[in-house]
Amino acid sequence: MGAPRPPSPRPEGGAEAAFLPSPRTVWAALGRLVPSYMQGSTRRVGIMTDVHRRFLQLLMTHGVLEEWDVKRLQKHCYKVHDCNATVEKLEDFINNINSVLESLYIEIKKGVTEDDGRPIYALVNLATTSVSKMASDFAENELDLFRKALELIIDSETGFASSTNILNLVDQLKGKKMRKKEAEQVLQKFVQHKWLVEKEGEFTLHCRAILEMEQYIRETYPDAVKVCNICHSLLIQGQSCETCGIKMHLPCVAKYFQSNSEPRCPHCNDYWPHEIPEVFDPEKEREAGISKSNKKPLRSRQH
Amino acid sequence: MPRGKKSKLRAHEKRHQAQEEPENLVGVQATEGVREEFRSSSSLPLKSLPAAGSYSNPQGPQRATSTATTTAAVSYTRSNEGAKDQVEERPRSSQAQPITEPFHRGPLDEKVVTLVHYLLYKYKMKEPITKADMLRKVIQTHRNHFHQILKRASEHLELVFGLDMKEVDPNRHIYILVNKLEGSYDGRLSDDRGVPKTGLLMTVLGVIFTKGNCATEEQVWQTLNVIGLYEGRKHFIFGEPRKLITKDLVKENYLEYRQVPNSDPACYEFLWGPRAHAETSKMKVLEFLAKVHNTVPSAFPFWYEEALRDEEERARARAAATAHTAATASAHSSAMARAHSRAMDGACSRAMASSSSHL
Repeated sequence: MGAPRPPSPRPEGGAEAAFLPSPRTVWAALGRLVPSYMQGSTRRVGIMTDVHRRFLQLLMTHGVLEEWDVKRLQKHCYKVHDCNATVEKLEDFINNINSVLESLYIEIKKGVTEDDGRPIYALVNLATTSVSKMASDFAENELDLFRKALELIIDSETGFASSTNILNLVDQLKGKKMRKKEAEQVLQKFVQHKWLVEKEGEFTLHCRAILEMEQYIRETYPDAVKVCNICHSLLIQGQSCETCGIKMHLPCVAKYFQSNSEPRCPHCNDYWPHEIPEVFDPEKEREAGISKSNKKPLRSRQH
Repeated sequence: MPRGKKSKLRAHEKRHQAQEEPENLVGVQATEGVREEFRSSSSLPLKSLPAAGSYSNPQGPQRATSTATTTAAVSYTRSNEGAKDQVEERPRSSQAQPITEPFHRGPLDEKVVTLVHYLLYKYKMKEPITKADMLRKVIQTHRNHFHQILKRASEHLELVFGLDMKEVDPNRHIYILVNKLEGSYDGRLSDDRGVPKTGLLMTVLGVIFTKGNCATEEQVWQTLNVIGLYEGRKHFIFGEPRKLITKDLVKENYLEYRQVPNSDPACYEFLWGPRAHAETSKMKVLEFLAKVHNTVPSAFPFWYEEALRDEEERARARAAATAHTAATASAHSSAMARAHSRAMDGACSRAMASSSSHL
């Protein structure tokens, strides 16, 4: 089965039992250099070079990137800034950077797109509540519009909120009065900033927004929020069991039911009625991508 | 065993308090607190690592700062639900007793982190930063510490992201963040004098492109006048514009400035210089134009076609260059091949950067 929980690349800091200091941290606390034989297992604090800095700059500029692009980006940064060094394994590379970013409450987070299971990376802020971090560039009524859209999305069955339903709430917004026309523009602004994604007149959360705001959403809407039965992460779009109501992400469904001819609900064992999607295969994807390089991106791609 | 080691840890932390280490670690009883100790203490040994050429510790070796792992921030752990409140405006809680640290340290550190986030956001949006905005949106009640907060935030940006904060207008206190790493091909025309000429240059390249790849001096001035640049009138960022476009940018090979053949009285025209062709493309310039007009490149079908054709040609040229490199890499020295591939990766990153400029 393999629960495809989209893990953050860095191992959780609380891996050690809480009351017992690990030998490594004791060494560290005593102000001594951690002996190299101890450095392997637990998290090392990394060293930043121009390679890492450039990587951060470019990742930030792109907002969110697919894993394949992230690897290319990493190789590019090595070529430009340290062409003699061996390219470090991506996971370690990112863990290194994250250990430095930690004190700034920023993290390179890894996730998976909800619709087609692509691994993605984004630089996310952790410290402030996500809606207030947008606050610096949006007016009060705009932020409230986003909150309203977010609530509709979370409450919806499909994970999408129609433009009409969002715009109908325009009168209830805090702050300056907003007309519907204006609200349409604001929604487009959210799309441009990669907070929302639009598909045929309906809006859902951009994969980057999900990465960045998961914690905030789970804390703010603890009752309304849906969670995937397999990976236990926030679920906006997914499939649900018609009998017992549990939900699963599409990529989680793909992995769980892979080559299973009789898919059954993991909770109530009833027949799983929905179409089982394919597991995302980066190799196949790349070949397809090369042959249609000039074609417009598929509608379903969220980034 | 645990107790012995823990009190050693605490004693060590107390000692470091006096040396301006994070003071939030004393007297913590909760599990969470213990976890926090470990997290901070695991960064201590880096003080002894050499800093030359690499950046090992966000604290900086000698700086009298407590790190951004302040009390308010430190109480944020991944699974901590109360953290959300604690990292907002509230001053540091009185739980952890500071012995040597002044009381306002905690919130200042918070402000530094918030300012770093804000500046990064502005960098991403490619917008300049004003002091007024920073004060209003981030610093707020800590106005008296503005310079201190800004200085620390800039240090983090420099050390972690390789970004430099430059004041482009000392009178109106407007800043921009520029990439200070050497040798970066970031898909934009680089500028080593710290003056952001890029916008101006893109504008001029845009005029040239949209006038059929050659624009008269008069046409260029028409556009520059619209954005407030006049011949002979010194501009607070760009200096005297005529010198800039007819001499400086020409000298740097971004523009070509020549007399219109057989013109009498002599009049002049502009074309793209070789460096412009190398460092940017018609599509990039069109994207810039589209952004200025708040639309998309395909809204200008005629120029869009031309830009697409240009992209195809470039792709073909790159493919041919790859084949060439592969064939001759063994014959030539590795340094040469490396320089070649570096240029191509520049093109690669430019292509990637351009795909994002649709934001």
